[in-house]
Parts: sequence; C-alpha cells; structure tokens
Amino acid sequence: MNDDITEHPHPVPLPGWLSLLCRIFAAIGGITLLAMMLMTVISVTKRTIFGAPIPGDFELVEIGSAIAIFCFLPWCQSTGGNVLVDFFTQKSSPRANHLLEAIGDLLYLLIAGLLFWRMIHGGMEMRQYGEQSMVLRIPVWWSFIIILPAMALLVATCAATMIGHIRKASA
Amino acid sequence: MSGIAAGLTGFAVLLALMAIRIPIGVAMLGVGVGGYAMWTGMTPLLAFLKTSTYYQFSTYSLSVIPLFVLMGEFATQAGMSRALYRTAAAFLGHRKGGLAMASIGGCAAFGAICGSSLATAATMGQVALPEMRRYNYSGALATGSLAAGGTLGILIPPSVILVLYALMAEMSIAKMFVAAMIPGILAALGYMVAVAVFVARNPEDGPAGPRATWPERFAALRETWSLILIFALVIVGMYRGWFTPTEAAAVGAFGTMVLAVLHGGMRLKGIARCLRGTATTSAMIFLILLGAETFNAFLAQTQTPMLLADAIQNSGLTPMLVLLAMLALYLVLGCVMDSMSMLLLTIPIFYPIIAGLDFGMPREDTLIWFGILAVVVVEVGLITPPVGMNVFVINGMAKDVPMLESFRGVLPFLISDIIRIAALILFPFITLWLVRLLG
Repeated sequence: MNDDITEHPHPVPLPGWLSLLCRIFAAIGGITLLAMMLMTVISVTKRTIFGAPIPGDFELVEIGSAIAIFCFLPWCQSTGGNVLVDFFTQKSSPRANHLLEAIGDLLYLLIAGLLFWRMIHGGMEMRQYGEQSMVLRIPVWWSFIIILPAMALLVATCAATMIGHIRKASA
Repeated sequence: MSGIAAGLTGFAVLLALMAIRIPIGVAMLGVGVGGYAMWTGMTPLLAFLKTSTYYQFSTYSLSVIPLFVLMGEFATQAGMSRALYRTAAAFLGHRKGGLAMASIGGCAAFGAICGSSLATAATMGQVALPEMRRYNYSGALATGSLAAGGTLGILIPPSVILVLYALMAEMSIAKMFVAAMIPGILAALGYMVAVAVFVARNPEDGPAGPRATWPERFAALRETWSLILIFALVIVGMYRGWFTPTEAAAVGAFGTMVLAVLHGGMRLKGIARCLRGTATTSAMIFLILLGAETFNAFLAQTQTPMLLADAIQNSGLTPMLVLLAMLALYLVLGCVMDSMSMLLLTIPIFYPIIAGLDFGMPREDTLIWFGILAVVVVEVGLITPPVGMNVFVINGMAKDVPMLESFRGVLPFLISDIIRIAALILFPFITLWLVRLLG
C-alpha cells in the first residue's frame, strides 16, 4: 500500500555547522534533563531518609525542564521530528510535497521569529523587575542566557530547512 | 463576527492547514496567534507572547513528560524487550499460537515501562518477529499480533497520552493510571483470546513451539523481576502519594538507566542515543502542547467551548448519544491523524461538554471514564487502515510480508477491541472499580 506514510516531513540536507549546533544544543538539553532526573532522585531519597528534600527542588525542575525543552526544539526541527498529517498528500508528487513543507517551515520560521523577538523583551523585563524563584531566589532571566540562543538557533534552522525544501522542490 | 463563528472559522482554517502537510503544532500555533491577534488585538497578543512560552515550558506538572519519555528510551535501548519476550515465551510458547500470545504479553509488560505505542511495537518486533518466523508462524499472525500488542503501550501506565489527558482535564495523573490498569489487562487478555481463536481456525498459522521446563521458566523470570519492581515503585509510589508524578518519572527513568547499564551493557554512547531520542520526542510533544495552548487561548477568548457545551446541553440529545458521537469522531480522525495531536486538539472542547452531561455518576468519575474510553478508541486508530502507524512500523520490519496480509492479521484483534470498547461503555465500573477500591 503506502510506504511513504511516516507522519513526518521528508529529511533535507542542512549545512554541517548548523546540524552540529543543533546537536550541541540537544546535548545541553539532554544533560540538563539527566541532571534534573538525578537531582530529583537524590531529593526523594534525602526526603525519605532525613525527612527533608533538597531545598528548592521543584523550582530547579521547572527551570531545568524549560531549558531542556527550548534546547530540544532546534534539534527536532533539524531532524524532521515534528508530526504532520500526510494522508491527504501521499499521492501528490515529491516536488509538491517539498513545496508544502517549505510553506510549513516558513510559517514556523515566522512564529519562531515572533516568539524570539517577544521573549527578548520578556527576558529583559524579568531582569528589570528582578523576578526570581521562590526558595533559592534564582533570577528567572538567567535561564534566558541559554533559552534565547536556542530560540535564535530554531529560527536559523527553520530558515535552513525551508531553503532545503525549496531546493528539492525546484531541483 | 460572533464568537462561535470566529472559533469555528479558526477550526476550519486549522484543519485545512493540517491537511496540506503543515506540522500539526505549527498549524495550531499559526491559527492561535493569528486568531488571537484578530479577535483580541495585536497589543495583548504581543504582551501574551513575552512570557507565555517560558511559563508553558517551565510548568512543574509538565516536566513529567520528558522524564517518562526518557524512561521509555532507556527501556528500549537496553534490550529489555528480549528478557520480557523470553519470559513470556517460556510460559506460553508450547501452546498453539503461543509465541504470538507471548508477543502480546511481552508488549503489555513493556508498555508498563514505556508510554509509547510505536516504540513498544518496534522494540518488541525486533525480538519477537524473527522468533515467530523461525517457528513458521504466518506473516499475518506474526505482524498482526505485534501491531496490536504495541497499542497496549499507551493504555498500560505509565502512558504519555494519559498524562496529557489528566493535565488538560485537571484530573489526577495517579488516578488515571490506576483507572487504566484493568482495561489494560483486559485488552491484553482479549488479544490473547483473539490469537487462540485465530489459530483454532487456521492451525498452520501458529504451530506450537517446544515446552520450556520449570527451571528454565524460573531462570527467565529472574531476569525480569527488576522491571516489575520499577513499575510497582512508580505506580504505587505515585498513587500512595510518596512521590509527585514528576518524581515517580525521575525515579523510574533512573531505575531503568541503572538496569540498562548493568544488564543491557549500555555505555556513554547508548546514553547519548537515548537523550537524542528523548530530545526529538519531547520537542515534538511540547511544540504541539504550545500550539494547543495558544489555539485554546484564542478559542477561550471567543468563548466557543462554553457556548458549544451549553448548546449541546440544551439540545435534548441523550448523554450517551453525545458520547458515542465523540468516540465516532475519534475513530474517523484517528484514521488520518496522530493520536496525541488529536487528543490535545479535542479535549479542551470535549471535556467541558462531558463534564456537563449526566451519566449518573460523579463528575470526576465521568471524566476518568471518558479519558480511558478516548485513549482506547484512539489506540484502535493505530491499527486500522488507511493510516495504521503500528501496522506500518511492524510491516516495515517484516520485509517478506505484504501490507494487506498484515492488515488481515490485525482483524481478529480489531474485533476484540470492539467487544472491549462496548464493554467499557456499557459497564463504567470496569474502569472505576480499582480507582474506588484504592481511593
């Protein structure tokens, strides 16, 4: 029947440096997630044995998961990991499908750009108002030092996959 | 334009975008952002976007998702499917169709440490498929049982889809997991009965294998007890309130990692591979979550969910009819759409409707029951044509089996699914009994 149904975009080649950057950010996110896991396990053990968890364990998880997810986004886009519906387009030509996927990437590019721009302002406001976590008093804007570059990388990756799809469509 | 017209227009545009290969999360984000800007205005939108994404991704209750995904990745990479399949085969292999029953049992057990159906089907397939072909099982039975068995992954807790449902419908994750236990076990038993009926009618499709001795069986069990321990710790700990769901997921992921390193021979490279897999899946889920959140923010502004719920309540339709219509819609959507996106898209609209209907039980019970029904129905979509992802995955692994043969093999399991869904609808206590007992 249909071998092409994958529910994912077709892969496109990306510039080597960009793939590498996406991989590095995914690694940062992955290590953050592992650290979050270990910290939680230690906190649970400590709470069970000594009756007191690691102070601020919940907020560390919150900060960690935000950093991890933002770092994962460019990697997912670069490897074609986002799901789509390919039922209605499985019979159309590869060229047409690449064109449609380029449109999808353009939409993602615009949204990521918009979010990036707004989050620069959001981060600066958090810094201005001195927003910090409840227990450990960690300034919230600190995590933006990693999150904003990750968003910038997402914008670049969307642009690169879009160009890749346009090339495939016009080849 | 009235609120409800704007909301429905947004929906129509969203469906159109999804039909033309726009990634589901991106389409939701696009329509959500666009709709919000048009309905509420540009200034509030720009203010909303400053911090909404950060707060969405740093929600404590959502951090359970990447951790459960990580746990599933460790379990997959560690070759735990091999030990589970061997154990199941040691107990069932000597029966007619026994190796197919073992595939079901192995999938059910693997589903207890992994919350994804595709991963369960794929990892069990790698182990069980060669084994079944070696004993001359037909392609239809071998691929059909694995594709169907894989669907147990999202029903048997921990399950990412149940977590998402619980978060969206503001239910307790632990209660949803407990509610899924009996339907999950029933599903596994129902599939085994389906295998038995299949081989009774076509004996040459699943010949009996050699009988394992009791010492062999105990040896196989020794390899699997640690997995049972992890599963019990995660579920019981969460239910008894020893851990939050996030803590349970962290403990479970850590436990599976230790097992993978000690028994599965996983080293740094393997850990890196698990992390990359987790990165892709988590980012995919969170993009859809962000999209759904933004789209729902727009829908809420137009008051569509509330107006729709009122309209249905006052329409005079019986609650059961409304429920059946929703489940039917899931069956149709499930034919073309990824199951997680489908639930994220529909639950915010469906759950106020369901919560407002009178099924003769408390509101909380109704929502638990509906959540399990929704997941069970969605699961059927994974093995029905035209887009049965599980069937595709398994069929891709068995190169010599034609796709049509695989869909033929899935048929008896579909019949078992339909009987089970009917039972779950008619007798809500199957789902709620354990929750009440432990509550």
